Amino acid sequence: MDADAFIRTENLTKVYSSGPAQVAALRGVTLSIQKGCFFGVTGASGSGKSTLMNLLGGLDTPSAGSLFVGGRRISDLDHEELALFRRRTVGMIFQSFNLVGSYTAAENVALPLLFAGVAKKQRRKRAAELLRTVGLEGRADHRPGELSGGEQQRVAIARALVNEPQILLADEPTGNLDSHTSRQIVESLVELRRARSLTVVMISHEQELLREFAEEVIHLQDGAVTEREGLR
Amino acid sequence: MRTADYIEQACGNLWKKKLRTFLTTGGVVIGVGALVCMFAFGQGVQKNITDQFEAMDLLNYINVSAKHEVRRNPSDSDPDAAPTTDEPTEPAGAAGEPVEVLDDDFIDEVMQIEGVEAAFPEMRFPAQIRRGDKEQFTIVQVVTSRACRSELVQLRAGQPYTSDEPNEAMVSDSLLLRLGNTEPETAVGREIEIRTITLDFGLRSLMRMAFGRGDQRLPVSNQRYCFKVAGVIERMGFGGALPVRSDVFIPPGAADRMRKLVLTSVSDLFQPAGKMAGYSTVTVRVASPRQVSAVKAELEERGLRTFALMDQLDEMKKGFIIMDMFLLAIGMIGMTVASLGIVNTMVMSILERYREIGIMKAVGATDGDVQKIFLFESGAIGFLGGVFGLVLGWVVSAVINLVVNGLTARQGVPYIRYFSFPWWLCLGAIAFSILVSLIAGILPTIRAAAIDPVVALRHD
Repeated sequence: MDADAFIRTENLTKVYSSGPAQVAALRGVTLSIQKGCFFGVTGASGSGKSTLMNLLGGLDTPSAGSLFVGGRRISDLDHEELALFRRRTVGMIFQSFNLVGSYTAAENVALPLLFAGVAKKQRRKRAAELLRTVGLEGRADHRPGELSGGEQQRVAIARALVNEPQILLADEPTGNLDSHTSRQIVESLVELRRARSLTVVMISHEQELLREFAEEVIHLQDGAVTEREGLR
Repeated sequence: MRTADYIEQACGNLWKKKLRTFLTTGGVVIGVGALVCMFAFGQGVQKNITDQFEAMDLLNYINVSAKHEVRRNPSDSDPDAAPTTDEPTEPAGAAGEPVEVLDDDFIDEVMQIEGVEAAFPEMRFPAQIRRGDKEQFTIVQVVTSRACRSELVQLRAGQPYTSDEPNEAMVSDSLLLRLGNTEPETAVGREIEIRTITLDFGLRSLMRMAFGRGDQRLPVSNQRYCFKVAGVIERMGFGGALPVRSDVFIPPGAADRMRKLVLTSVSDLFQPAGKMAGYSTVTVRVASPRQVSAVKAELEERGLRTFALMDQLDEMKKGFIIMDMFLLAIGMIGMTVASLGIVNTMVMSILERYREIGIMKAVGATDGDVQKIFLFESGAIGFLGGVFGLVLGWVVSAVINLVVNGLTARQGVPYIRYFSFPWWLCLGAIAFSILVSLIAGILPTIRAAAIDPVVALRHD
């Protein structure tokens, strides 16, 4: 067990109860992720990948076990503190992009700054900056419906990074994209990680893609880690 | 999150759903409009009454009457008679006598009391007034020439009668109108006929009543008197308990010569003739309402019964509060319905934006941020509804005022402003509308804040 790891889980367990039945989505996952690492998680549907992602992102709380980020025990935080953790420490991107359809690309990117209490002028400036970083400066006033899948995911990446988080969590970011665009997106994640010294955790069922770019990959099956691959 | 951002978000979201915002706000507008109308009406009535009180300085008057003692005899003790506490019973066998006779000497004495400006007897009787071929039933009031010349009486034409003796009358312009005269000046100097009603216990009348012949049921007969119109007085908007309130004034001397059924107190009918000396009621006017209680106390010390409207003012204020509450209750019906509309809109809005709420939370919105975003939305509906509701209420009340005054003007009623919009009503209506909207928004927004982002992000 690596006590110096940036992200560390101990026996992380999540049990969902639907009526009388109890479904264990995660069964005691223990792992450690070094700062600045590109970490891959793979596994079949229902293996617990997304549950792990939600726990790492502070969207959900574990039933048992603990999660530490930068030495801080995240699994004990209350609702309010978790919101601040999501706001300051992590950025997330999703398979279905999760952009607000009625907002323009710039407004979507600026959304996290709204909750951070940043002034409107500053928000616009930061959004434009990040759209430039992901190569979408010309698309600032387009709504998600007017953008391609790859462009939408790049808007989502810009939004995830606008608050300058330390961790970028990507939940099947290429699931809705063709293989060419998928590669571009993952390449840009690698590039951003290097430029911003991010820790990237990417979940994907595309093992080939993970093997090519990730430094470490774990395999999940029925909520438990079955295999660890150190690639570099 | 900044307050300006909450407002911008709320307005932006409402603008995106224009039709729904318009309909929901419309409900609030109608609710606030109805409430404002009701309240403004209540305020208007109160303002009219209190203004009238002040304009006629009704609060400066005290009505004085003698205490009528009841003859008591130990032999005819009535077991059903409840003991009265405010009227001391006389010793057994002694005939009760009025402590003071309300005659002209008494009036002169009362005038000497500090603060008293005027004192005049009050006597009224019902009569038919005829002018030409038109006849009207009204109440004739006996008013001394001195009181008639005071500022209490507002003249429109002619002059007040100069002494208490002649068969001269002061007639109100509204009675003249009902008698077919539209120009008061032409009535001065003309004759009118006053037909009084008297109780007739003569044999013929009693026989008629006993055998039921003719259409007369009561033993009454009529007496006709001719009067000259000396002056025309202005009609008062509200009659109320005015000391000078009748359509016809005649001097006491002329009144003494008439046979009439005086309408003062029913108890007068049961008084022995000897005790009817003097007036039954005298009205006292003091210089300022503040002197009422002192003058009242002095009169009561003399064993007289007094009545002042000043005492009734507190009771009236209580009555106003009850009226306000009643109008408020009616007005609240619309507001309640409107608030249900807001609840519905907020629930719909939150359902539609379920996923968006998940996104907001994923990027760092706290539960409080989410709740406030939606609370500002329902508050904005309340603000818009309040402002436009106020405008609606004002327009509707102006229209009602116009129509009602248009109708009553034909009957000689002066223009009355039925609605009043004090500044606190305007601000209060908007504040209340916002408050109701926020309360309506509480439950839906608590639900919005409690949405689990994991579930919401999975939601399609």
